[in-house]
Amino acid sequence: MIPEIGYIRPRNLREALEALGENRETIRVIAGGTDIIPGFHINSRRFRDIRTLVDISGLPDLTFVDLENDGLHIGGAVTFTDIVKNPIIREEYPLLAQAAFRVGSVQIRNRATIAGNFVNNAPCADSVPPLLVYDAVIKIQSTRSEKTLPLEDFLLKPYKTQLQPDEIVSEIVLPPLKKEYRGEFYKLGRRRSVAISRITLAVLVKLQDRTIEDIRIASGAVTPIGRRFRELEDLAKGETAEVDFLKELSVKLGEEILKITGLRWSSAYKLPVVQQMFYLLLRRVCNR
Amino acid sequence: MKKINIRFKVNGRQADLNIAPNKRLLDVLRDDLGLTGTKEGCDIGECGACTVVLNGRAVHSCLILAAQANGAEIITVEGLTQNGELHPLQKNFLEHGAVQCGFCIPGMLLSSYALLKENPHPREDDIKEAIAGNLCRCTGYKQIIQAVEAAANENNE
Repeated sequence: MIPEIGYIRPRNLREALEALGENRETIRVIAGGTDIIPGFHINSRRFRDIRTLVDISGLPDLTFVDLENDGLHIGGAVTFTDIVKNPIIREEYPLLAQAAFRVGSVQIRNRATIAGNFVNNAPCADSVPPLLVYDAVIKIQSTRSEKTLPLEDFLLKPYKTQLQPDEIVSEIVLPPLKKEYRGEFYKLGRRRSVAISRITLAVLVKLQDRTIEDIRIASGAVTPIGRRFRELEDLAKGETAEVDFLKELSVKLGEEILKITGLRWSSAYKLPVVQQMFYLLLRRVCNR
Repeated sequence: MKKINIRFKVNGRQADLNIAPNKRLLDVLRDDLGLTGTKEGCDIGECGACTVVLNGRAVHSCLILAAQANGAEIITVEGLTQNGELHPLQKNFLEHGAVQCGFCIPGMLLSSYALLKENPHPREDDIKEAIAGNLCRCTGYKQIIQAVEAAANENNE
C-alpha cells in the first residue's frame, strides 16, 4: 500500500529545493520511483515518515548530458535508458553504459535515474562501480548551499549517504579520461536478465608499454557498498602487467573482499568467481 | 488526503481526473477509467503485467504515481486495436499460439509495441531484451518471440 501522501510537481530545480527546504523531515524526492514505491509496499522503515513527495522525474534542469572542458555533466534525473543511448557515454565512458544496460528491465531503465541509484545506495547499485573508477564527482544543491564532492566520499553505508533531507543531487561529473585507459565491467546475477547483482566489478587500466601506470578497481554487491580498492591500486602501479602479477593481484582482491565482509555462506562460490573473473578482466584489458 | 487534478491522454482520448495522490497509474487506468486490459501482477516492477507505453516508452504502471503521468500520452492494450481491426502484433500473437492463459499478454504486446516503434527491424536478441521484463508462465516465450518477428516482417513488407 502506498500511504496517504501529498504530491508536489515543481517546475524547476529551484522550486523543488524550496519545497524540500520547507518540510525537511517529512518530504522526500521521487524520480523513477522504482525503489520508493516497492519500499512503500513493504512498509520499509526508510520511507515510513514520508508525508509528501516532490517529483523531479523528467525535470529539464536535471535531465541534461553535456560535454564540457572539465568533463561530462550528467543531470541527476537522467534515466538509465538515456545513459545507454547516449553516444558520448557509450564512446567515452563505456563501463557506465554497459552497467546501465544491465540494470533491471527496459521498463525499469525507462524510469530509474542515475542519482536515484546511488542515493538509494543499495549494495548492488550497478552504476556505482563504473562511476567510482571514473572518479565521479557529484554536485549537491539545497536552498542554503551548493557543494561538490567525490561520489566515493558521499556513499557511507548500505542505504546511507551524506545526502541531507533538503538536498538534491543535481549532477554527476565524470572528469575527462585519457584515451589510453582501457576498462572492463562485469556483473553476475542469478539469471541473465532483470537480475539483482551478486557481484559487480569495474576496472580501468593505463599501460605504458607493459607497465601499469595507473589502475582503478571497484566492486559492488560483493562488498557492503560499492567501493574502490586504493591499497591494491597503489600496489599495482609500476608493476609489469604479466600473468603472474595479474594472478597475484586477483587473489589479493578476493582476500581483501573477504576481509571486509567476513566469511559468508556465499563466500565459497563468490570468492573464486571474483578472483577468476577479475583475472580475466585484467587479461582482457592488458592484452588489448 | 487532498485530491489533485491531473489530465493525460489515454489511447488518444483526453482524461481529466481528480485523484488521491497515492493512486498509481495502474489503479487509475483500471478503476477510474475501466481499462482493465492492463493487469496487476507483482506490484513491484518484476513481472511486467502492468506495462503500458508512456510517451513512447514501455513502463510499469504499478511503479508510477498517476500524478507523475500528468500531461503524458499513454497507450494501453485497448489502444492497439484500430477501427475494430487487431494490431499486427495481436494478430501474430494469435496466429503463432503465443497466448495461453493470457495474463501477461497485454504487457507483452506493449513492450513489443514500444520496441517496434523504436526499432522496426529488431534482431532476435533485441526482442528478447525488450520482453525480458515481462514474465510468462505458459508459453516458454518462443511463440511470443516468433510472433513479434512476424509482426516486424509484416511491417517491413
